[in-house]
Amino acid sequence: MKRGLFGIFTILAIVGCFAIASLAAEPIKLGALYNLTGGMSSIDAPALNGAKLKAKLINEAGGLLGGRMLEVIGINTKTDQKATAIGAKKALAMGVVAGLGYGDTTFVMASAPLFQRKGVPFVTSGATHPEIPKWVGDCMFMTPFGDDDQSFAIADYTYNKLKARKVVVWTDNSMDFTKALSKFFKQRFTELGGKLILEDFFMMGDKDFSAQIARLKAASPKADAVFISAIPNEAGLTVKQIREAGLTLPIVSGDGFDTELVTTVPGPRLANDVYFSTHTYREDTRPEVVAFIKAYEKEYGRPPENAFAPLGFDAVGLIADAIKRAGTTEKSALRKALAATRGYKAVTGEISYTRPSGVPMKAVSIIGVKNAKYKVLDTWFPKQ
Amino acid sequence: MVGYIAQQLVNGLILGSMYALVAIGFTMIYGIIRLINFAHGDIVMIGAFVTLGLVISGQIPFPVIIILVILAGALMGIIIERAAFRPMRGAPQVTGFITSLAVSILLQNLGILLLTAQPRNFFCPDYLQTVFNLGSVSLRTIDLAIVVIAVVLMVFLVLLVRFTRLGMAMRATAENLKVALLMGININRIIMLAFAIGSGLAGVAGMMWGARYGQIDPLLGFVPGLKAFVAAVIGGVGSIPGAMLGGYLLGFAEVLFVGLLPPIYSSYRDAFVFIILILILLVLPTGLLGRKMEEGV
Repeated sequence: MKRGLFGIFTILAIVGCFAIASLAAEPIKLGALYNLTGGMSSIDAPALNGAKLKAKLINEAGGLLGGRMLEVIGINTKTDQKATAIGAKKALAMGVVAGLGYGDTTFVMASAPLFQRKGVPFVTSGATHPEIPKWVGDCMFMTPFGDDDQSFAIADYTYNKLKARKVVVWTDNSMDFTKALSKFFKQRFTELGGKLILEDFFMMGDKDFSAQIARLKAASPKADAVFISAIPNEAGLTVKQIREAGLTLPIVSGDGFDTELVTTVPGPRLANDVYFSTHTYREDTRPEVVAFIKAYEKEYGRPPENAFAPLGFDAVGLIADAIKRAGTTEKSALRKALAATRGYKAVTGEISYTRPSGVPMKAVSIIGVKNAKYKVLDTWFPKQ
Repeated sequence: MVGYIAQQLVNGLILGSMYALVAIGFTMIYGIIRLINFAHGDIVMIGAFVTLGLVISGQIPFPVIIILVILAGALMGIIIERAAFRPMRGAPQVTGFITSLAVSILLQNLGILLLTAQPRNFFCPDYLQTVFNLGSVSLRTIDLAIVVIAVVLMVFLVLLVRFTRLGMAMRATAENLKVALLMGININRIIMLAFAIGSGLAGVAGMMWGARYGQIDPLLGFVPGLKAFVAAVIGGVGSIPGAMLGGYLLGFAEVLFVGLLPPIYSSYRDAFVFIILILILLVLPTGLLGRKMEEGV
């Protein structure tokens, strides 16, 4: 009996200690949903690295709300929409104060509505469909620009600077993002007076583009440029196969091409005349950018892989900034604070939620690839 | 237009060669121990990574790389057979099937663990990438090499199976494992040989896959594995010429489907492949060259 009582006291004491310890420094949990394996991994893995880096920097500077640490819980959803919904439920069950994640609209649409239902804010680091906030609701926030802006930017560049008049458009028919990108590109390019001579399609995961390339080659009249709406996995593959087939026309695209695969897969001999619109940070001298690149290199021993790394960094930055202004992690106050974000100096450009659509107004970079080297060729600004 | 169709036919031939090589291994293993081996596609992945390792490691001439990759694939097949499938021998068919799924997941995750899931570029020496034109058809050296190597290996395999004692033993084992055992055939050796040959061919297919598409990742085996399964079923599972025929048919069908129909259907290539499979099985339940087998399913 005595021993039994002693045991109970011991257990109570231990539990008590844990409870006190956890009250003192209860971390602020953020659920970071990313596809660390599968077709999206080459953009999602760097994004999670960026997100974790921002949290680390905040914690090193003393945390938030008087010393509470920021904890980014990474969840791998394997480029699978079912795993995405399960991951979102898991994050919510862990009591996260906000969710973040994904470089693609399809996966945001499989997870963000679950956060919306619980009233927990969700910030996407890289999904760019301009109607996401409308589809999901008032808990949805975007870090990047919208697809309309990036498509308009590259369409303007293709027409005005590359002087292309006749284009072929290839679209990955399996994703909301790629379909939207093509839609806005065709819209702008034909508005400018250009002509669409051929449209072709493929699916995420396709490896063999020989049939489409033969058709591109046989197209008459000859195309001045080909717009390829693809995610990173197909970006390098399409460039390599098109160049190997002896076609030298300019290849243009959006931020799905912002991956090192565009240069490494075709190699220096073939990675030429590729132009894409993406998030501003490459070769930028703003202090946020310089500090970010330095911190990233120090943490991971390599420069940021692509624009999704700073976008992940910015997503956590946006949430942390809102928590600071709200003074609490309570979900509706946090949501209001996020919506009131004005002029937040993000690595990928200033973010203000002033448009009725909820899509931030941000500058778009046009990057060109010559001999496997990236170069910023132009910066495009949206009109209100 | 003629040039366009010729180009598409050549594209189909190249794709079909790779499918056929993978399908042969699939069908051999099924033919001998009635095992649907879903880990077969992952040997393709291993072949691709072994090739990449060999290419990076130094100036190994291309023919030597081919031989080393075949050996690596064969070795992998033998290891898998010894470790995973031999203990299951005699168990119901479904046990082997599930074991093969487990082996497949194990290999994929091992690949992710050791090599990360990030796709990486596949170095291919420049002399393999030289483009040349035959009339209106443009080809690279590697494309030609794929077709030639595939045909040479297939001829070699057919000769082995038809005209050697070993081949006779293999055919006997495929016919009836127990009777072959009673006749004094060392069936363990024959089964191991089937795994070694099939996996060696899959390894070469991995090399081709990497060299042709230029990008590899630890999960790349899934698609060729699945397509090889379809090719083997179309040709008649268990029949080696059937697997070759099925592989080439599938390659041509995929490319021509994209190439000849309006572009809007291009993205439904895989759906189309499975429709063909269903149609063929409706008309010929044992595949094109398959024999009727009495099986309690």
